[in-house]
Amino acid sequence: MLIAAGILFSAFSGPVWADDRDIRIADGKGDWGYPTPFRHYPRGPGYIRMSWVFDTLVWKDQKGYVPGLATHWAYDPQHLAFTFHLDPAALWHDGTPVTAHDVVFTLAYFQQHPYQWISIDAVDRAKAVDDHTVTIYLSKPYAPFLSDIGGTMPVIPKHVWEKITEPESCIDSACMVGSGPYVFKDFDKTQGTYLYEAFEHYYQGRPKKQRLIYVRTSKALMSLVTGQADLANIQPDMAGSLEKKGLTVIENERGWNKKLMINHTRPPFDDRRFRQALAYAIDPQEIIDKSHRGFGTPASYGLLSIDHEMYNPDTPDYPYNPEKARQIITDLGWTPGPDGMFHKDGQPLALELIASNLTVAGESVSDRDGEIIARQLTDIGIKVTLVNQEQTTTDSRVKKRDFDLAVSGHGGISGDPKILNEMTSSVYGGGSVNSARYDTCPELNALMDAQMTEMDPEKRKRLVFDIQAVYARELPAISLYYPVTLAGYNPDKGIKWFYTRGGISKGVPIPQNKLALIR
Amino acid sequence: MQASTRHTWLTPVLAYLAAALILAFLSHSLPRMLPGDFVTAMYGASDVTLTAEQAADLRALYQDNSGFTAFLGRVFCLDWGYSYAFQAPVAALFFDALPWTLVLMGTAHVLSSILGFVLGVEAAWRRGTRTEKAGVGLMTVLEGIPELCSGVLLLLVFALNLGWFPAAGAQTAYADHTFVQQVADRLHHLALPLTTLVLAYFPGNFLLARAGMVMVMKSPFVLTARAKGLPPLRVRYAHAARNALLPLVTRFGLRFAFMITGALVVETLFSYPGLGTLLFNAIAMRDLPLIQGIVLAASIMVLGINLALEFVYILLDPRVAHAS
Repeated sequence: MLIAAGILFSAFSGPVWADDRDIRIADGKGDWGYPTPFRHYPRGPGYIRMSWVFDTLVWKDQKGYVPGLATHWAYDPQHLAFTFHLDPAALWHDGTPVTAHDVVFTLAYFQQHPYQWISIDAVDRAKAVDDHTVTIYLSKPYAPFLSDIGGTMPVIPKHVWEKITEPESCIDSACMVGSGPYVFKDFDKTQGTYLYEAFEHYYQGRPKKQRLIYVRTSKALMSLVTGQADLANIQPDMAGSLEKKGLTVIENERGWNKKLMINHTRPPFDDRRFRQALAYAIDPQEIIDKSHRGFGTPASYGLLSIDHEMYNPDTPDYPYNPEKARQIITDLGWTPGPDGMFHKDGQPLALELIASNLTVAGESVSDRDGEIIARQLTDIGIKVTLVNQEQTTTDSRVKKRDFDLAVSGHGGISGDPKILNEMTSSVYGGGSVNSARYDTCPELNALMDAQMTEMDPEKRKRLVFDIQAVYARELPAISLYYPVTLAGYNPDKGIKWFYTRGGISKGVPIPQNKLALIR
Repeated sequence: MQASTRHTWLTPVLAYLAAALILAFLSHSLPRMLPGDFVTAMYGASDVTLTAEQAADLRALYQDNSGFTAFLGRVFCLDWGYSYAFQAPVAALFFDALPWTLVLMGTAHVLSSILGFVLGVEAAWRRGTRTEKAGVGLMTVLEGIPELCSGVLLLLVFALNLGWFPAAGAQTAYADHTFVQQVADRLHHLALPLTTLVLAYFPGNFLLARAGMVMVMKSPFVLTARAKGLPPLRVRYAHAARNALLPLVTRFGLRFAFMITGALVVETLFSYPGLGTLLFNAIAMRDLPLIQGIVLAASIMVLGINLALEFVYILLDPRVAHAS
């Protein structure tokens, strides 16, 4: 019956997804909100949906920053001002030219209606020098300016948005007028599908594919093989079979880290030496080998990715050494009992470890990391209770500091080094579940504040080096490893997809860079 | 006589109303006991790093402190609330997803019930033969295979290896199809999830129908019917099988009532749009209004179908009315 049905329906419906004018991208969740700055969901895939429609002043490719709406830009340290020269060919989707006044308006609009992806606290004012030149003056030096405002802020059309007072509720076609390479056509919430059409008059040239379509699928590999999708995130073990079938597999730089969150507010974790003992006791390579079949690299203890241009190669290291871990714990006053477990004042050294399936690039990934870490800690004499919980439950407990240790993870570590501050200090990332909120080291706090205002890249790099060294010494959390992140695509479609240096915008580790469809 | 009839329908209706009230209370209070909230779920894996103030503002925005009475009031006014995660009215999300679940689950239930009933009756009629024994053995094995397992196997064979069926979705997105092509395309997408569900439900129906029929066939009235020389088909279906139908109807009703939870695994596996997928995402995102809406609608559906079944029983088997 099934065979007959397959043949019959295939004959009727035909291989429609093989249309060469289309490019189809697979996504596990489907719905990421409407592609406007105020309606896309606050995660990477939501931002990407919007990035097809709205351009930014600058953009990134495999190597770094490239022109976006601005053909070139310059920083004037004397006046704390960035000047952007806009491409005179840039048009909004309704045919109106993009001008410097739109950029000035965008900043003013976001001051009134904040856009969560950027911080414009450091912007004093913006001035349209002429129709295609805009100068943005800062109230104080702000090192991540180019990443935050230049490369992340979507520029919105003044003539449309000046009439919109409630941006959060606008899903009219008017709110979808951007200056990006694709025009938004449809979003089906129930099916989780999106349709975009090429913008004929795009200033960087007409996009290579007429239609861009997102389809929802929880089986990326099958969708790629059956041709339902032309691009999808894939698991590392799928790579070989996909390549045999003629698909191209690309690997991302190491921009996402699996991390062990430590409740450094309660003893014994409030002692830096104890956290260092944990680092010696955990062997990330074993986790990679046994839980991820070797697909991963041990992480730097300084949080920033080893692929980052500001990565400090002299960051303190904790090579696996269970003996040293035992010695530190013994020095802290614990004594091994007859069962091999540490005791102090008649109490065993016991802790709870929470593990969960984590979401990486919008997809939930399961593993056995918790089991391996629990065994490694038990091996040195710590009694571990492993609790597997769903991610939001874990995040919620971490946020409330109702935990001992928790396996967690996040991206952004190959993007702007501001991530060091956000993932360490409650001043910069107090609302994030991934932030260690470790505020007790004045040296670290001073370095973090300094790197935010250092506009000289070389001087900033030195500060970032120091932050990594101090971070690795203090260990507010332990970065464990970088999992291998891959995507597969169909090369017959003529599009060469790539991963962006430091991730798209603020560090989105998804290979859906619009430049792949333009250049 | 009139008082007795009123008693027959009034008592269950009142009991069901009380149950509906309790379920409404549970659908309001249970999702609130979930650890974590929407802001944690949405921003936990986000590229946006919130400051403490931003997080507090968002929590205040997405906090629903309204009590049960206010919730009940809204339910009576058919105000289902607004989904945090999907930024749309809960009712719109529910009714957009409902037809897909109805098509998938409804077809699966009807197909597996008819198949199970007919084959079960035929198997009982042929009791003791090799075919019957083999059928019962096969069905017992199939009954033990979970949907997740059969679904993955079907995907591996028919989507990945043979490539006959699409692996995900309910239709080809944005294809320029004629009406006939569109219908064929949707059936093409429906085939694998539907087969998975039929494989999951049909064996149970078969075994139930067969067991019921075996019991009925021992009854004296079946012997009488046979002795009268009635055609075997009539004895089987008009006399015996009708009396073996009751447990099957109960099963059909209950299974149908649990449509949303039943759809969860298969819809998620095949990325099929529907209430199962919606509920899965709502729970993952701690979207309280949406969870409340779906749970309440599902509970009311269970109650409604149970209530309807009370009357269907009486129609099918007058002994039920007398018994009460």
